[in-house]
Amino acid sequence: MQSFRLPWFVRLVLRQCWLLFHLLFSIYQFGSHFLQVIESYIISLGLLQSYQNLQLHNLRHLAIVVDSEEARNTLMVKELLHWVSKIGVNYLTLYDMEGVLKKSLDGDLSNFASGMTSASQQNRMIIELLSFADSKAGVAKAASFLCSKYQNDELASSSKKEPALTESEIDDALNAVGCGGPDPDLLLIYGPVRCHLGFPAWRIRYTEIIHMGSLKSMKYGAILKAFYEYSKKQQNYGN
Amino acid sequence: MLATSKLRCQLFVPNLPKSIKRPATNHCAAGSPSFIGKSKACSARVSAGEAPITFPRGGGKDGDDEGDFPFGLRREALPKHVAVIMDGNGRWAASRGLPTASGHVAGYKALKLMVELSCRWGIRVLTVFAFSSENWLRPKPEVDFLMTLFENVLKEDLRDLLREDIRICIIGDSSKLPKTLQKMSTEVEEISHRNSRLDLVVALSYSGRTDIVQACQKIAQKVKNGILHPEDITETCVAQELETSSAVGYPYPDLLIRTSGELRLSNFLLWELAYTELYFSQSHWPDFGEDEYVEALRAFQKRQRRFGLRTAL
Repeated sequence: MQSFRLPWFVRLVLRQCWLLFHLLFSIYQFGSHFLQVIESYIISLGLLQSYQNLQLHNLRHLAIVVDSEEARNTLMVKELLHWVSKIGVNYLTLYDMEGVLKKSLDGDLSNFASGMTSASQQNRMIIELLSFADSKAGVAKAASFLCSKYQNDELASSSKKEPALTESEIDDALNAVGCGGPDPDLLLIYGPVRCHLGFPAWRIRYTEIIHMGSLKSMKYGAILKAFYEYSKKQQNYGN
Repeated sequence: MLATSKLRCQLFVPNLPKSIKRPATNHCAAGSPSFIGKSKACSARVSAGEAPITFPRGGGKDGDDEGDFPFGLRREALPKHVAVIMDGNGRWAASRGLPTASGHVAGYKALKLMVELSCRWGIRVLTVFAFSSENWLRPKPEVDFLMTLFENVLKEDLRDLLREDIRICIIGDSSKLPKTLQKMSTEVEEISHRNSRLDLVVALSYSGRTDIVQACQKIAQKVKNGILHPEDITETCVAQELETSSAVGYPYPDLLIRTSGELRLSNFLLWELAYTELYFSQSHWPDFGEDEYVEALRAFQKRQRRFGLRTAL
């Protein structure tokens, strides 16, 4: 069977069209990224009225997930913490899967006050460091704790009650085994993958999740924009 | 930011053909899946909620029909398990001046389209968040309408689902559902349990936290019965007792799609989504059609291309 081949000039024209198409898309992509950088820069300079005096009353707890490879860049992580502290976040949970942040930052967080003078001790930012060991394994530990407690109660009282667990008992058990904590209102993800990488599942049922891109390209203006957009959100909680 | 990242993903993929819209008349009637013509409130664009959908007759298994496979997607890199939070029916209806019930009917049609496409392209598991435990607090007429809709869907589409070799699993707290719906759900699960082309998991009256609690409850019962010791409880034990693990062969979604631009999980599959790619679409659920689904799968595959060589943790 003879194979059909397009004439050479048609192939040339098609190839030129394809290259032009690709060029236009690349220009559009570059332009879009450039505009985003400019926007972040303008926001960080405080030139936009709406981003000044951010209302953070509904952001009581911020969580940040960092890809473990990127978390090894301790300087960038500290700069991120400094920005978040400057904005006025009171409670921050930092998470990476492998526990890199726990090793590099634990004991080195005393400098991060919550945007206030050092005289105002009660406004220091509380920072919680988590890894995968606090996530699913934490729920397993809580279950083990509850089962042990149930067994001991049963032995003590000689009554054979059916185990009837509730959400609040799981909450209490998680706190008892050291894996409890408040639910974050907003979760920022720094890394190449749009995934929370195993952040404690129990705590993120209503958490807003925003993927910020790579830690290498983090921008102060982008964080302000995320907080601003969060402040405009209204949640119905399924109602 | 997420929205721009999503746009960059779209533009990076070359050779995108002009998308083919499903031909359909506009549908703006309230509470009825039939087509009765246009009205001023409707937009010109045909959405999934407005197009006529039927299950394909005599379609090939596992997406044999190569001609229908979207250009630019790699079949071997498709997610095995896709989860969907079907958000935005009410807002879709409100934007068209229609009652909320019309939004839910349109949403059901969008679901049928997604099931059809998933079958065609070889997705193995599709989990959909149809009704959350928090939704019980919605106005009673809306809740009653939804319960009736779920029952009618199970009755009317059962034959199509069986013909297409689709297995239905219902997860969630069924004790709160009307008795007739409970009975229908059990029957549908039993009749379809041998099917293997696609597992359609429908989360009805579901809460991710409640699922974890009931898993811990079952573990506690095993400890009480002497089958398990407290010190042997691991995350694997918890995972095995979740409703999703008993329902399907691929319990953890590879891709989660949430529509309507909201950026949260809303108590859906909390345990299972640890390593799931999260895709937040701006479209309302009734408008989520083939184009939007392909875009989500394309974004997923772009991530896969970059990180497929990383060693599993």
